[in-house]
Amino acid sequence: MKIFKKLHRVFKLHRIFIKQDLKRLMEYKIDFATGAVGMLLAQGVNIVFLSIIFSQIPALDGWKYEEILFIYGFALLPKAIDHLFTDNLWAIAYFIIRKGDFDKYLTRPVSTLFAVTVEKFQVDAFGELFVGLLLFGISIPHISLNINPLNIFLFIIAMIFATLIYTGIKLITASIAFWIKRSGSITYMFYMVNEFSKYPTTIYNRVVGAIVTYIIPFAFTAFFPASYFIAGGNPWYNIGGTVVAGTVLMAVGILVWNKGVSAYESAGS
Amino acid sequence: MIYVNNLKKEFKKTIKEPGLKGSLKSFIKPKNEIITAVNDVSFHVPRGEVLGFIGPNGAGKSTVIKMLTGILTPTSGSCEINGKIPYKNRKSYVREIGVVFGQRTQLWWDLALRETYTVLKEIYEVDDKAFKERMAFLNEVLELEEFITSPVRTLSLGQRMRADIAASLLHSPKVLFLDEPTIGLDVVVKDNIRQAVKTINENEQTTVILTTHDLQDVENLCDRIVMIDKGSKIFDGNIAELKKKYGQSREMKFIPTDFEAAGKLDYKGEFKLTDDDIEIENDGHNVAVRFNSDKVSVEKILNYTLSHTHVKDINVSDADIEEIIKGIYRSEVKVDA
Repeated sequence: MKIFKKLHRVFKLHRIFIKQDLKRLMEYKIDFATGAVGMLLAQGVNIVFLSIIFSQIPALDGWKYEEILFIYGFALLPKAIDHLFTDNLWAIAYFIIRKGDFDKYLTRPVSTLFAVTVEKFQVDAFGELFVGLLLFGISIPHISLNINPLNIFLFIIAMIFATLIYTGIKLITASIAFWIKRSGSITYMFYMVNEFSKYPTTIYNRVVGAIVTYIIPFAFTAFFPASYFIAGGNPWYNIGGTVVAGTVLMAVGILVWNKGVSAYESAGS
Repeated sequence: MIYVNNLKKEFKKTIKEPGLKGSLKSFIKPKNEIITAVNDVSFHVPRGEVLGFIGPNGAGKSTVIKMLTGILTPTSGSCEINGKIPYKNRKSYVREIGVVFGQRTQLWWDLALRETYTVLKEIYEVDDKAFKERMAFLNEVLELEEFITSPVRTLSLGQRMRADIAASLLHSPKVLFLDEPTIGLDVVVKDNIRQAVKTINENEQTTVILTTHDLQDVENLCDRIVMIDKGSKIFDGNIAELKKKYGQSREMKFIPTDFEAAGKLDYKGEFKLTDDDIEIENDGHNVAVRFNSDKVSVEKILNYTLSHTHVKDINVSDADIEEIIKGIYRSEVKVDA
């Protein structure tokens, strides 16, 4: 019962903060409008670019065009969900700790990680979400997906834990700022590895393949789970790997974060 | 209520030589140094007391406050407030305290002020009825009405500070920490804030710990002061005790009928005093003589003055607290901790 009460409170606070953040966006109308147009343009260009590339490549390492599109779309969804809810971790990495602004989160009776992430609802993520779903819409009619209740369940599981892979990697690298004050470039470096996840891992050489599979396991955010839905395979590896990677990264992330909070040094005032 | 024992905080600092070359050098081979910001500070604050925490810039006041509010973890020593250890039981502990850092704001910058309170209401789980009553009360003591619908970024410093204090009091905390709550404010706003703190302290028995550089705050509000310098406690007691301990200096002011005669008065020679013990100021309207009453009695100074010159008006007063503290900060007064 206690856990339900807690969850209820988390959702309630989330709702309130999202409302506040939308109000904040409306406060600066011109900036918001420009941002929205910019986002549409960026995603539009993305789609055009993709169709140009794929019109030149009828198949890639045995994967046909629509399958590649499906993997690409699959990659965008967890990225978008993470982007939507935990974007403030970038601010932790770049300036919240350096400027001592982390103080205020410590004086509130909620978990610091929750207080930080809930504060920003990054609507830019809707662009990625939209493109991801659009690519699904285009590709799914042309590939033979085995849609059944078990696979729908596995899909949801894969999405959740793939999102946690993103969040975990951001969390671990952003937490380093507690010791070195500014870790934005580290977060950026690791985060950008996700670009590899949009294409079949099999097209890369062995070193890159091993890195994105075992070290910074972005391959489990898209290629491995997506290929299970397209081509079948061992769900214990393809989906299970995502679950393990997401759980481990998130657990390490929370551990490093908590260690970091006790090492936090604030800033002079 | 608040027990602080041998609290200590050390920071590691990288020593950098000047210039880009120095920065490069420390980047490749950093040289570290341990800085003790707070050293062995102990004190106790009973419930309902207003404690003034004073000391020069960089003395370690904010560092102590940050340890007491659970922001920093002490290197050694302990603090216990309401039976809780701030950095260990942080979430349940901060429910019972309010914190204001005068130099920062905890209000949501882009939103109307009112929104901050509705968000804090949810964070602290204040129920609707209590929230309504509390807002009405805070409105009354801090006069928020006129700007509660304005975005926080448009508030003046005085308005923002009142708003921040209200935010810290929304959940009726048992302990209120104010770190420089009157910094940069005009006299009217300062007075308003002091009145508000006083009202809350009296009505609700809220324990208040405040740091300030404004000694008016100390004189008007504080039951007791703790003074620290270079990370160590150098005084703990009330204002009367401070005056008794360090306030040997007195000031005699008079308006002579004949300035020339007054100028010839030689207090130093007469009483064999050094520059440390006496200071004379003659601005052509008033003559002010500040002296150490341990070295020469008020009576002797008065007798000497009145027997050598005629005066239109004369008065002798205690040194004010500001003078005393200035003396301690400059380390003119010898302090024994």
